[in-house]
Amino acid sequence: MTFPLRTFRRGIHPPANKFTKDAPLQEFPTPDTVFISLSQHIGAPATPTVAVGDHVDVGQVIASASGFVSANVISSVSGTVKAFCTLPTANGGEATHIEIENDHLFTEQRLSALNDPTKEEIIERIKAAGIVGMGGATFPTHVKLMPKDPIDTLIINGAECEPYITCDYRLFMEEAVRVIDGVKLLMKALDVKHAYIGIEANKLPAIKRLAKLVPPEIDVMKLKTKYPQGAEKQLIFAITHRTVPTGALPAKVGCVVCNTHTAYCVAKAVRDGETCYKRAMTVSGGGVEMRGNFWVRNGTPYQFIYDTCRGNVIEDVTRKVISGGPMMGFAQADLNVATTKGSSCLLFLTDKEFNTSPTTPCISCGKCILNCPMSLVPREIERAEQKEDFETTFKLGVLNCIECGACSYSCPAKRPLVQAMRLAKKEIKARGIK
Amino acid sequence: MAKFIVSSSPHISTTFTTRRMMLDVIIALVPATIASVLLYGFYPLCMMVLCVGSCVFAEWLFNLITKKYQSVGDLSAVVTGMILSLNLPPVVPFYVPMVGGFFAIVVVKMLFGGIGKNFANPAITARIFLMLCWTTVMTSFVQPIDLSNGMNLFSFFDRAVDIDISAITSATPLAGVKSSIAAGTNPAEGLSALDMFLGRIGGSAGEVSTIAILIGGIYLLIRKVIDWRIPALYIGSTVVFTAIFFSGSEYVGQYVWTYLLGGGLMFGAFFMATDYATSPKTCLAVVIYGVGLGFLTVVFRKFGTMNEGVSFAILLMNVLTPLLEKITPRAFGAPKKNNLAKLMKHKRKDVALEGGKND
Repeated sequence: MTFPLRTFRRGIHPPANKFTKDAPLQEFPTPDTVFISLSQHIGAPATPTVAVGDHVDVGQVIASASGFVSANVISSVSGTVKAFCTLPTANGGEATHIEIENDHLFTEQRLSALNDPTKEEIIERIKAAGIVGMGGATFPTHVKLMPKDPIDTLIINGAECEPYITCDYRLFMEEAVRVIDGVKLLMKALDVKHAYIGIEANKLPAIKRLAKLVPPEIDVMKLKTKYPQGAEKQLIFAITHRTVPTGALPAKVGCVVCNTHTAYCVAKAVRDGETCYKRAMTVSGGGVEMRGNFWVRNGTPYQFIYDTCRGNVIEDVTRKVISGGPMMGFAQADLNVATTKGSSCLLFLTDKEFNTSPTTPCISCGKCILNCPMSLVPREIERAEQKEDFETTFKLGVLNCIECGACSYSCPAKRPLVQAMRLAKKEIKARGIK
Repeated sequence: MAKFIVSSSPHISTTFTTRRMMLDVIIALVPATIASVLLYGFYPLCMMVLCVGSCVFAEWLFNLITKKYQSVGDLSAVVTGMILSLNLPPVVPFYVPMVGGFFAIVVVKMLFGGIGKNFANPAITARIFLMLCWTTVMTSFVQPIDLSNGMNLFSFFDRAVDIDISAITSATPLAGVKSSIAAGTNPAEGLSALDMFLGRIGGSAGEVSTIAILIGGIYLLIRKVIDWRIPALYIGSTVVFTAIFFSGSEYVGQYVWTYLLGGGLMFGAFFMATDYATSPKTCLAVVIYGVGLGFLTVVFRKFGTMNEGVSFAILLMNVLTPLLEKITPRAFGAPKKNNLAKLMKHKRKDVALEGGKND
């Protein structure tokens, strides 16, 4: 069987480091206390529906969506609500968390199973189950399924182009039938006739496995192994050759992109009535002994994950903790953070595993320009940013930047290019430059 | 609890560093250096040592005096020294590479802000500077050593002590072209393509052996140190423009290959036109740059008083680069725009800004 090899322009080839790709998904132990964030999604924080002292079950809604762009928050354990507290989030902010003491009984509440749901029923179920974009962007899925523009194509993002992360790959290998079922349900919800599942060529077993199982209306697309293949605009271009215009959503070109894990959650919610309270997560890096892919319940503190996985590795070797992949993930100051629906990966990196080279002067080699998947000129933008000339950064199209980090990765002088672009974007917004 | 390092993503970076890139260029220059030794003996190698030494010393001293970060470790001064010395005629007095090295580093590179800030290729500018200072020395070339004729690899040392250039001067292929343009004769008379390819002709120490330059150039392309478009466009457009300018001559084919192999084109295209700081990176700008280099080279060679035109072509296109870099690519998904209109707009805006600053 032959597959066309699709891709986008430019991009980089970081080492894949997918050490955990053969580690089967395992249930992760549950801590005695979980901290469930009310802001596990993009949009308004959910409104709590429980009070301190209430008993909750696994799968129970403990906070409901508080607006159009918002999502339900689900309890991941059974037990007693202890407190509402403000804790740091993985991306550097703060959010209200519900602290639940785990009684380890795991009494579960489930919704009814739907065998032949209508379009509306699927969307309603996705909303009730609190499903968000599980790739890490955490955009509420039910909102995505109600676009204003006509949609003709659903794309399932299984590229998993970030180094280290393997949880989507494990889902393909172990839960392929469910993922495909989820894709079919999403197709029905969107009323589209065709769907694509995009997978990078370095995950050949997954491509072969899916190709055997998919019905004719779903195509498995083999994508070139290149970062950022899984970025929404790049993925749409690779698969459909459509270009999402600046500032527009994928719906503008008739596409909706969903993550593999999202499709899996949709199938679980519709067929089993299981709400979104746990997710597959990759734990990797030189700082832990127990590397692998785990079903981690939302609200599990990073400290608990670290203590469980560390094994005999001494604590001091872990110099950097990253929530997410090494290209776009967030470095953590401490482990006082709990997992959310978007936590696809947790890395405990040693000195040798991340960049520690000092920044040196720009030599104008143009690697950043040659590698930018958005065809920007990071070098010029950084120069303008350093002069605080934000007008120029705006004119150079900094707002197109998807912050993939390809420029900083490829820079031989190790300049913080994407970081400068982020600052410029923030300043442009703050100053209202148009 | 252990303290973790917090920084903005990405957290990983390529193992490619500035130093590694410069090391790659040094490796790529080794074949040309070996060729210069095989062709002209150890004299040009000694000049290279002097030149590299003066470049590194100049950068070290400059940083010391101006109390700046000591940057000699990035090896870029070594690269400049090697390129400059390979650009010199095989036999020059010892002070020529030393003065050249100082000029390249201090005037062209460090005074403009060091690595990445130089307005033109330091080696090229230094070569032109030397050519204006010591015109006779810089345009006097020797024939490669002929071992069967009682010469050995140390042959040029005795003559260099009390240099008598005129006694050892020989014609370069490009000088032959110049006279044949006037006379209307075959420019490749007495030249063999194989000799030119191997480097058994008169010329600058590192520029004569096309094969050695190609080996180094291909290494740089494989390592992705240089952008393939610049040498391809430069060499390609030189061929095209030579064919156009000499289309009236019956020897047009001979003109093309003597221009291709007989001068500094190959070395310039791979090692000097691709200098990072002074070459554009975006698509249209690279095309203008590459074609402009080819055009100017042919024009200088055919119509100028000098036999060679590569240095001046690169220098001119180098100073045009800041303007060419105003041409930025269209962002993925952005509406189409007219690049030329944008270029003109930028130009006007820059003038207005300058005026504003003076007020």
